[in-house]
Amino acid sequence: MRILRAAAAALGLMAGAAIAPALAATDIDFFFPVPVQGKLANEMQALVERFNKENPDIRVTAVYTGSYDDTNVKTRAAIQAGRPPAASMQSANFVREYVITGDAMPLDDLIRKDGAAPADYMQRFWPALRVNAMEGGRVYGIPFHNSTPLLYINEAAFKEVGLDPAKPPSTWAEWVEAAKKLTRRDGTNTTRWGLMLPATYDYLGWITSGLVMSNGGAYYNEYWGGEVFYNTASTIGAVQFLDDLVHKHKVMPSGVNDANAVTNAFFSGRSAMMVLSTGSLSFVRDNMKLPYRTAFLPFNIAAAVPIGGASLIIPKGNSPERVAAAWKLINWFVSPEIAGHWSRFTGYFAPRIAASDLPEMKAFMASHPDAKVALDQLAHARSWFATYNTVAVRKALEDQVQAVLNGKIKAPEAMALAQRNADALLKPYIDQGALKLPQ
Amino acid sequence: MPFDQGGLQDVHRAVRQRRSPAWAVAAALLAPSAVFLAAFTYWPILSATLRALTEQRFGQAPSWGLGNFTRLFADDRFATAVGNSALYALGTIGPSLLLALAFALALRESGRLNALLRTMLVMPLLIPLVAAAALFTFILLPGGGLLDWHLAKLGIGASNWLGSPDTALGAIIAITIWKNTGYYMLFFLAGLAGIPEEYHEAAKLDGAGPFTRLRRITLPLLGPTLGFVFIIALLNALTQVDHVVTMTRGGPSDSTNMILYYIYQQSEQNMDHGLAAAATVVSVAGLLALAMLALRTLERGIHYES
Amino acid sequence: MKANRAPVRLLVCAAALLWLVPFAWMAVAALRPQVAGALDAASLLPTGPFTLANFAEAWRSGRFPVWYLNTVFVCGGILAIQCVTVSLAGYAFARLRFPGSNWVFTAFLLQLLLPPVVLIVPNLEMITRLGLYDSLGGIMAPYCASAFGVFLMRQTFRSIPRDFEDAAQVDGATRLQAIRHVLLPLAAPGLAAFAIVSVTAHWNEFLWPLMVVSSPRNQVLTVGLASFTASAESGADWGLMAAGTMLVAGPLLLGFLAFQRRFVSSLVFTGLK
Repeated sequence: MRILRAAAAALGLMAGAAIAPALAATDIDFFFPVPVQGKLANEMQALVERFNKENPDIRVTAVYTGSYDDTNVKTRAAIQAGRPPAASMQSANFVREYVITGDAMPLDDLIRKDGAAPADYMQRFWPALRVNAMEGGRVYGIPFHNSTPLLYINEAAFKEVGLDPAKPPSTWAEWVEAAKKLTRRDGTNTTRWGLMLPATYDYLGWITSGLVMSNGGAYYNEYWGGEVFYNTASTIGAVQFLDDLVHKHKVMPSGVNDANAVTNAFFSGRSAMMVLSTGSLSFVRDNMKLPYRTAFLPFNIAAAVPIGGASLIIPKGNSPERVAAAWKLINWFVSPEIAGHWSRFTGYFAPRIAASDLPEMKAFMASHPDAKVALDQLAHARSWFATYNTVAVRKALEDQVQAVLNGKIKAPEAMALAQRNADALLKPYIDQGALKLPQ
Repeated sequence: MPFDQGGLQDVHRAVRQRRSPAWAVAAALLAPSAVFLAAFTYWPILSATLRALTEQRFGQAPSWGLGNFTRLFADDRFATAVGNSALYALGTIGPSLLLALAFALALRESGRLNALLRTMLVMPLLIPLVAAAALFTFILLPGGGLLDWHLAKLGIGASNWLGSPDTALGAIIAITIWKNTGYYMLFFLAGLAGIPEEYHEAAKLDGAGPFTRLRRITLPLLGPTLGFVFIIALLNALTQVDHVVTMTRGGPSDSTNMILYYIYQQSEQNMDHGLAAAATVVSVAGLLALAMLALRTLERGIHYES
Repeated sequence: MKANRAPVRLLVCAAALLWLVPFAWMAVAALRPQVAGALDAASLLPTGPFTLANFAEAWRSGRFPVWYLNTVFVCGGILAIQCVTVSLAGYAFARLRFPGSNWVFTAFLLQLLLPPVVLIVPNLEMITRLGLYDSLGGIMAPYCASAFGVFLMRQTFRSIPRDFEDAAQVDGATRLQAIRHVLLPLAAPGLAAFAIVSVTAHWNEFLWPLMVVSSPRNQVLTVGLASFTASAESGADWGLMAAGTMLVAGPLLLGFLAFQRRFVSSLVFTGLK
């Protein structure tokens, strides 16, 4: 009898011990987007499951919330409803606006608690990423994965028209010349386009800002979120370049094509070149059966590209336990090993400098020259445009560029209109900032 | 009935009168519905109006004013959304009603083939609009999609249906027509079934041909059904934006932006709640006005019939 | 009339076949094995081997059981509450004479013209204030009163002679008992018709659940399917997308084909009323 009782007591203790951690586990939710093509949503869920197993005191529910724009909407709705997610992966250029509206938590204290100085902590990441991650000298977003726009070329098509695929076009002039040679027509039908690029919301703004930077421009005010430079020569020139590609040189199809149409065309040989995010590198590698190569985005005045990608933020309004759990998750995500793994799986490059020092990464880069190009282009990378009301201000430009691509309006008029619309959207912020003077 | 009707009615009246006053009973019975209606129809109208009249710009204290309405009417995007909604309404209501009527007229008789054809036309009604949007995303894919692929076989070049502001709204309209026509056909079938066969027989005896019968008998007697379906189609046109949300997001270049999507954008994307509320108030007013107009015309039509 | 029936028949057959094309593609693509960068993804001809791999993958990567359960709960819950509210209100308008009944009825009818989705922004605020954000109850709440249902029930009750409930009341039944045991069974066809219309409408609702819910465990079919197909499209995985869509549309279509006549007559019944 006593043995039975002892056994029962022991069982009870063991059961209690087993249940207790589960009861004490902090439940947190994590919103994440899948902004590029590929099976990223499933891989992210798998990663989160791995984290949950390695950290039994935390239970993370990963919520796939669509594109960058959708994730922004969902996160803000949740914050407004008083139920902010513990962590949210936001487009790197949305961080500024979360700070402006007071919805993101500064992470300096968390960094200090771990024993590092915020400035030193940010040294762990590539320099180009630091601008978007910080605001007013404080850290708000930890870079998770990053990209730059890449030029993908079809090697066979290049050889076919007498071009050397080992020497992809590096200037706009070479670009147009190559595209003209590569475009094939059959009467009025174009059977192969020289170049295609995605022109849907978000992608178009990003690529356009890259072209603007290549044209010597800045696109936006890096130091203060109240100004964009649409109606300037560098931007007008870049948009005119897009217009010419479609209507003058006729190497690019008119209209707005989304990433699927672009990759579809590239895979089937109906487009010889495409501009796409490095984030889709693995997707292209898996689906492009013909030999291809990646190259820097060609430039006109300056070799410069915007970074893309996402950062992890902690919205305000979470309890200290949730914040602590979220911080643990974030640091796990950006550890060299995990960051490296994600980079090899997707094509995004790991923002963590130490990740590229790991032997797996070195081996991967050696055997995958297309990924190496993306990393090398980082030397020319600059921050991504971030303003007050980023999405609407960005759309003010995109709507006009889409109209230009469709032949509805010319670049100078389009950019004047875009600037006017953007300024109207930025006005409340400007009135409380640069134009708010002492009485 | 074998007993005295008058006496029974007196008993009934007495029974009824002994109970609580009618309005108290009515209030109790209407209360459950009224609570929900108040909470989710009437109070929201009030709160949207209040919010629309509150101006709150970045970093400033809220204040009363018509600023949101001024900004709304000065916004090109709102004007575009209203215009697109009008185009969309015209483009969907007209063709779907015509097609639905035509199908109903052609398929009103019973029979295996007719039943099969009716089923095929009604099937789109059952799937959610987002499912239709998913299918049509592939169908309208430029180059490799269903439409372009088959058009290529006929020698017609690829078109970017969803990527050009000229065709995007048309594509959205086509999806809606595909989805709703079968539904409207059902109502017309019911309406046609309600027309007594004698009318047609009598007309035939008088020597009226099929088109005359259509014009003089069928269409007038279908009046109430036409009106009913018209109002449903109007409501659908103004509230079904699922495909815009998932396929085009209002673009390209705002060409598929609709009033409801504009409200969604202002509220969720731009977090401009004042503007979203103003747009809500304007669309509610517009919707009520349109519906009243439709109902009034419909009633007049019925009145003339009876 | 008989002479020109053939071309009309032909035209309608052609139209019906055209109407069927998206479903035909859905079935063919779902069963076709996925080839990377498939160039003939658009072919309607079922060539080659059939595979259920797409369905397996869709089932694995989607959360169809959760979505179905949630949708059934939401539609069933809404219907259950609606049956109560519309029956009571319909009775009040059909049987009771009280001052201002016409005005109140008009006030009720107004909701017909204002589906909750038009008031989506203030309704979302209301739901949040009630603490129902990100819950199935939040999805259901605005629909619990149905002006359409009230209108339909009023018409239905009006067509039933008073004798039955009067007899019941003479026998000592309260008004509520008379409604429940006498009137409702007689009004069953009307209620059934309303049920079918209500469930169909809420099954296919998208924008409202999209805004109310963010947790995956509270997603309904439409929202789940939209995110599923978006993810499949971003992988250009058309077979997967078709399979997922079929998993959602399939049961509804099968149900329709099985209960066609009742379904159609219900829709028609409500239209006539």
